[in-house]
Amino acid sequence: MIEVNNLHKSFIDKKDKKNTVKALDGLSFTAKDGEITGILGPNGAGKTTCLRTLYGLLSADEGDVTVDGIEVAENPLAARAKLGIFPDKFGLYERLTAYEQIDYFASIHGMTGASKKQAIEQVLKDLDMEELAHRKTVGFSQGQRMKVTLAQSLVHQPQNFVLDEPTRGLDVMSTRILRNHLAKFKAKGHCILFSSHVMQEVAALCDRVIIVANGKLAAQGTPQELCDLAGEEHLEDAFVKLIGSDEGVAA
Amino acid sequence: MISSNFNAHMNQLKALILKEYREAFRDKRALMVALMMAFLAPIMIMVMSKIMIEKLVDEPPIYIKFTGAEFAPKLMSHLADNNLLNFVDVPEDEKNTWQQRNITIEIPQDYASDMAAGKTIKLHLQADFTDKAVKPPVRRINNAVREFSLSIGYKRLLLRGVDIRLLNPVKLIEQDTAKPDATFMLISMMLGIYLMLAAFMSGLSVAIDSSAGERERNVLEMLLCQPVSTLKIVLAKLIGASTIAVIGVVLVLVLTSLSVGFVDLTKIGATFSLDLSTAAVLLLLLLPICFFASACQLFVAFQTKSFKEAQSTVGMLIGIPAFVPFVVSMMDDRPEWLNWLPIAGQSMIIENIFKGLEVNWLAVFATSSVTIAITVALVLALAKKLKSEKVVMALS
Repeated sequence: MIEVNNLHKSFIDKKDKKNTVKALDGLSFTAKDGEITGILGPNGAGKTTCLRTLYGLLSADEGDVTVDGIEVAENPLAARAKLGIFPDKFGLYERLTAYEQIDYFASIHGMTGASKKQAIEQVLKDLDMEELAHRKTVGFSQGQRMKVTLAQSLVHQPQNFVLDEPTRGLDVMSTRILRNHLAKFKAKGHCILFSSHVMQEVAALCDRVIIVANGKLAAQGTPQELCDLAGEEHLEDAFVKLIGSDEGVAA
Repeated sequence: MISSNFNAHMNQLKALILKEYREAFRDKRALMVALMMAFLAPIMIMVMSKIMIEKLVDEPPIYIKFTGAEFAPKLMSHLADNNLLNFVDVPEDEKNTWQQRNITIEIPQDYASDMAAGKTIKLHLQADFTDKAVKPPVRRINNAVREFSLSIGYKRLLLRGVDIRLLNPVKLIEQDTAKPDATFMLISMMLGIYLMLAAFMSGLSVAIDSSAGERERNVLEMLLCQPVSTLKIVLAKLIGASTIAVIGVVLVLVLTSLSVGFVDLTKIGATFSLDLSTAAVLLLLLLPICFFASACQLFVAFQTKSFKEAQSTVGMLIGIPAFVPFVVSMMDDRPEWLNWLPIAGQSMIIENIFKGLEVNWLAVFATSSVTIAITVALVLALAKKLKSEKVVMALS
């Protein structure tokens, strides 16, 4: 379970105080176990800043984030151990093979010996990538890269799984693999939080949607609830109405 | 509990280091740079010393016009041993020169009989003694003839049962306190600078690649989000880069000591040979430098905005190991604190080793400690910096 509580964060320009950007302005939400929670928001709404605070990379000016009850700001390493992270821009170590890369992240999460080996074999099988495993990742297609990244973030079976715009640049097949995997993960009772721009995907996949605008919570609920709330038939229209402008959709 | 905790930390660090090694040793370009430095070293040393030795110590042949050479075959062969040759054998291209210098020696007809009778034989050496070009040959002829004459004289006395030491009641032993030959100084200075450069250059591309390179390939953010302390990340990267640097330095030392064996440095007044113990001392001196260099490079590369910027900025760091020893060796009054500084301290010790002086172990210890202390400070500072928001914001 991930709880975000009254998060404030400003980026202060040291040279020009007027140039201060308020990225988060009292954002609060909860992502529950056994649910897929989607964060929707226009570009610059504070999604990435929120997630980076959640990873413990940035420290909030005010408010706190807890992962399974562990305060991120106080104990980032313990909180990160409970997280599986699928980052915004996923790069690979191109001189390592897929197996070595997954092994690397498994070891960082403290796995060793036979249990590590078994976990890696399992995740390779789940993602149907045994053939890729011993190839160097240089020259992998976008879909293959996604699989490696997914495998490395799930190899330690994290209770909480955070994805930052995971379907960007993926084709239909890869998106389906990802979706199926998320659904399986949810069924096992894990907590999944993911940010996205793609309305259909959010509508199809998420149990609850959180709409963020200007660093604040604009609305939350099931996709259907949000449509009802805005009095619109499609989530996209509801989204535009709820954030109160057309800006961001065009971007 | 504590030991299992420690094991967990070690396992994590081991995985981090293993990954750095895998990446470094699979990076053919980076390895080539490291090895190139090493393979160029012996070639440079060989070529430079060969040229200099030839210039300095070679006794060029001197061609003398002999008359009556056939009367004194033993004298002729002694002179030939000293590269004093008969004009009849002069090669075509030097014929004019020696014709002009016109050095003649006249050997009398009754050389053999006078020798047998123990009479003094008079050889006549004729040349224009005011001619500068003639002076060194004349000196060499003079020495050679005196040597020949003395050796016969000694034998005669020995045969009569006289201790030849009686002929030398006073003996002058010359000890040259002048600084070693300037050219030799140049070679040893260059070797010193070269070793420093090897320490800095060899790990360079690995250091840049594992810091700025990883950030550019979007893998650093992922790593920073993992449950691993930034100190471990920095340590792993430092160990990766400095291992390559150490390999580079060891290769330079091994190949140089092998190649020095082929040139006789003693001919130019060099008082050192790069034997095993000297090489070991040099390695001991350079090990902290390897770590220091990699720490500097990582520190700078992590602060730059892009891979390109990292390459050019870290490239400037290379100037330090080349510049500092040069300046230090030019200084006449060296302030005491210079001994303590990294690079400056080591380069002075290396200079002394090449001069053949005793190794000052206290200085070795002092400069190594300071170098290691600075390295540790750099690592801690970098680990702290990687936690800062500024570095995180620079990720994208």
